[in-house]
Amino acid sequence: MPATLEKPVIKGKSKSAQMRKYGFFPGCVAKESCKELFNSTMLLADRLGIELVELTAASCCGASVLNDTNRDVARVLNARTYAQAEALGLDDVITICSTCTGHMRAANKELLENESHMGQANAILGKFGAKYEGNVIVRHLLWLLIDDIGLDELSKMVVNPLNGLKVAAFYGCHIIRPESVNGWESARNPHSLEDLIVALGGEAIDYAGRTRCCGFHVQLEKDGIAPNMVGQNMRMAKDAGAEAVITPCPLCHLALDGYQADSVARWGRTDLPIFHLPQLVALALGVDPSTLGMNKHIITPGLVLQQHDLAPAHVA
Amino acid sequence: MAYTLDIFRFDQGTDEVPHRDRVEITELPETATVLDALEHAKAEIDGSITFRRSCRSAICGSCSMNINGTTGLACKTPVRTVLRSDRSIAIDPMPNFQPMRDLVVHMDPFWDKYTRLKPYLQPKDKDEDHATERRVSPEDMKKLVAVANCVMCATCYALCPVVSVDPAFAGPAAIAYAFRFIEDVRDSKRKERAAQISDDYLWLCAHCYACSYCPKHVDPHDDIIAVKRATIEEGITDAAGPRHALVVAKTIKATGMLHETEVIQGTVGRFNIKGLIKVAPLGIRLALAGKLPPMFLKPVPKVDEIRTIFETLEAPTL
Repeated sequence: MPATLEKPVIKGKSKSAQMRKYGFFPGCVAKESCKELFNSTMLLADRLGIELVELTAASCCGASVLNDTNRDVARVLNARTYAQAEALGLDDVITICSTCTGHMRAANKELLENESHMGQANAILGKFGAKYEGNVIVRHLLWLLIDDIGLDELSKMVVNPLNGLKVAAFYGCHIIRPESVNGWESARNPHSLEDLIVALGGEAIDYAGRTRCCGFHVQLEKDGIAPNMVGQNMRMAKDAGAEAVITPCPLCHLALDGYQADSVARWGRTDLPIFHLPQLVALALGVDPSTLGMNKHIITPGLVLQQHDLAPAHVA
Repeated sequence: MAYTLDIFRFDQGTDEVPHRDRVEITELPETATVLDALEHAKAEIDGSITFRRSCRSAICGSCSMNINGTTGLACKTPVRTVLRSDRSIAIDPMPNFQPMRDLVVHMDPFWDKYTRLKPYLQPKDKDEDHATERRVSPEDMKKLVAVANCVMCATCYALCPVVSVDPAFAGPAAIAYAFRFIEDVRDSKRKERAAQISDDYLWLCAHCYACSYCPKHVDPHDDIIAVKRATIEEGITDAAGPRHALVVAKTIKATGMLHETEVIQGTVGRFNIKGLIKVAPLGIRLALAGKLPPMFLKPVPKVDEIRTIFETLEAPTL
């Protein structure tokens, strides 16, 4: 039976969840400019007692851009990735990027709902002896934390609570929109990241920018667009009292971390440190903060972490 | 049970700054729509409350407004679905527009972007007598059906984060209408239309899917990427947007990965010194943080399979 897309695996139902062993699709950015995301994910997995088996021969998901050149190529590339996961016996594929999540799920939806798409993909995969059976489900690490581990369980594992650190969630578009592809939680009013922040001992900050776009995908198309979108959103977070931001998307991380300095003229200084999702979870679960690569951020969180007795300033 | 409308009030003729009025609704059930509640308020409580409305059934597209921070048609939004915990509903004019009076906004920028498209059929043969039908196969018409449902309510335009920082961007609805003519087999101006919409910053669409909240399910996003493909097919590729898409395809075909360093160089242009200087500050910040992306990437295992996929599908690259 093909996996259903409307409701991602219920806690404990997937074979992977029972074995605590998942297919892992890190995505390009976690392998290139945000290696700290890859490393902190592996450290977190170790702490959680789950195994993430990297799909090393996988390709880029298409990153929303490939559809601009050809409507089929991203879908078939993703079918190839799913065939690799199936061949490894890992139907439960975990991502750590909102854009990967959205585009891999969209490709899977098209493959599962349209026989001609599946036929086209398998005709090409057949040229090199691969076949996608339609059993893969793609989920974000955030969903794994909540569905397979559970927030209650996670909060019991907290050894370094966030001590009321005021954290603003920044979802990134493709983990929530379009709802017809993701559908794991309300796109207009998601609350998984806020629930997670509270479970880790932090205070979740509410602001309108949390479900808006960071501008990453148009940073090179015209001057000033991405910095303006970053500044607008970070201004809202700062004015709502945020001391830091958490995001499940490395593209958002790059834009938010990189462009706050370029948005000062219009939006004022915000200087909010931007945590990758696994960094903040791992920190609360007691992973050595000096191993989480937080000193690799442009706006380093050292001072904020020191103020809340979470880590000495020099390690981040 | 009673609830409160918390309404944005402003008159461009007399007011320097807007204020808000709270109106108690006691006689209408929560199953009423937000538009019903507003009409009740206007008829029974304060006749000066101003808003656009006509059909009450999501066909005329007049009553789009901001309801509790998110935009949609008031006639299609039941009160009970949006009541906040304090039993109030905040009602504001559509964002990305200048308010005129209360919930009525100046729609001119939205219409301007639409009329620039020459939104009418420009067929090949001039049949002055209209003697023969221009027949279209059901198959060819099918892809235009969704966009034909657009009622020009401007909800997508109001929700668009790119419009909010750069009003030069055409916005989702106008690009969806460009799609409607670009993909119409009877039209003869495909290239001109593609060039026009490229000039109106087609490639500034940030792929955020905010327009997926379309109350008529037009979902302009798929139309936008179809128009982008049409511009590449028509050879309109000398701009950062199409170069970006094509260099991403090139690096994935070569290595299996989206190679960040090469994508930046390829999009800006390797010999575009001015452009490269503009992107340099972020590069320097990344370098100082010790996270500059690699200059060279080792191809993923079995990269030949990836090249086979690109070649079989004849997918374009830079």
